[in-house]
Amino acid sequence: MSEKYLNWLDERVGFRSVWQAIFLRKIPKVNWLFTLGSATLFTAFIQIFTGILLTIYYVPTPDHAYDSVQYITTQVPAGWLIRGLHHWGASAMVVLTVLHMLRVILYGSYKFPREVTWFTGVFLLIIVIGFGFTGYLLPWDQKAYWATTVGTRIAGVAPFAGEWILRVVRGGEELSAVTLARFFGVHVWFLPASLILLLGTHMYLVIRLGISSLPKREE
Amino acid sequence: MKEEKNINRRNFLSAATVVIGGVIGVSLGIPSLVYLTGPATQKTESENWIRLGSTAKIEIGTPTLFKVKVQHKAGWIVDEEEISVYVITQNGRAFVAMSNICTHLGCRVRWISENDSFFCPCHNAVFDEEGNVIDGPPPRPLDRYETKVENDSLFILV
Repeated sequence: MSEKYLNWLDERVGFRSVWQAIFLRKIPKVNWLFTLGSATLFTAFIQIFTGILLTIYYVPTPDHAYDSVQYITTQVPAGWLIRGLHHWGASAMVVLTVLHMLRVILYGSYKFPREVTWFTGVFLLIIVIGFGFTGYLLPWDQKAYWATTVGTRIAGVAPFAGEWILRVVRGGEELSAVTLARFFGVHVWFLPASLILLLGTHMYLVIRLGISSLPKREE
Repeated sequence: MKEEKNINRRNFLSAATVVIGGVIGVSLGIPSLVYLTGPATQKTESENWIRLGSTAKIEIGTPTLFKVKVQHKAGWIVDEEEISVYVITQNGRAFVAMSNICTHLGCRVRWISENDSFFCPCHNAVFDEEGNVIDGPPPRPLDRYETKVENDSLFILV
């Protein structure tokens, strides 16, 4: 019955071979540590989903940012849950990405032919940290304000270009409406766009090359 | 290996994936819908009695216009909104307080004393002095506020 329609669709779009390649591919016998990448991916989906929902109420201006976040947390039904998931998911992202990276290092999975997968992974880690750094400012409370004051100041101590980097990141001398707006823009447009691009490449390579098997002692 | 062909390891894991995925999907999906539609279903803030003015100022038989500021909360922003209320009394004791918002599409009506009627310029609606529809498209009379008189002052429930 539905098989007939699925066949009709598969004949035209070939989703079965895509499904086969993604979910039914052969993998070597490995351990649970090899699921850390999937866990990171899943958390990334949660972050994207809850992040999109948060933009429904969040307003990135100094006179509304704090109040709109408070509104989400205390007034909107399930707002505490959506924000909570995004908040804790952010920490989980960093932790899982780093654990995933450690597994790749310790099992030597970055070696031929998976070097490019590794390179994209390194940039993905930087993107995740960028998400964390820009997202931290958005609630516009004291912690956010001072953490970003300090964080941007750290960028400012870079030799030669430091002062210039500091001004570009802040969008001026001081933390201001400009800083908040650009952190928001980077958090919801620049970084997600880069993430999707790199993540797509990363996943394509994982599927194309297959995952590495456990290293053997005698090799 | 002869019995239970249907429940091998592969089938069990597939089923478990679907079930766990479904649970996650539902436990994320339902709060999301609630979250998105929340402000639309929440009740507006509690009602308050607002003082319009002295009852002595209200002429008998002619709608008198009062403008008062009311606190209006939308999302996280509280601002003051000025509302216009027409009050009419036939005897100086019973008062009818009407909103000046046309019940058709929300334009503001005004009292035209030459015609003894309210007029809405948007679609030529006409209401009588008590707010009943005389002409035009409005589906119902002008909305009324509950009123009370205390110490010669008129209050409405907003």
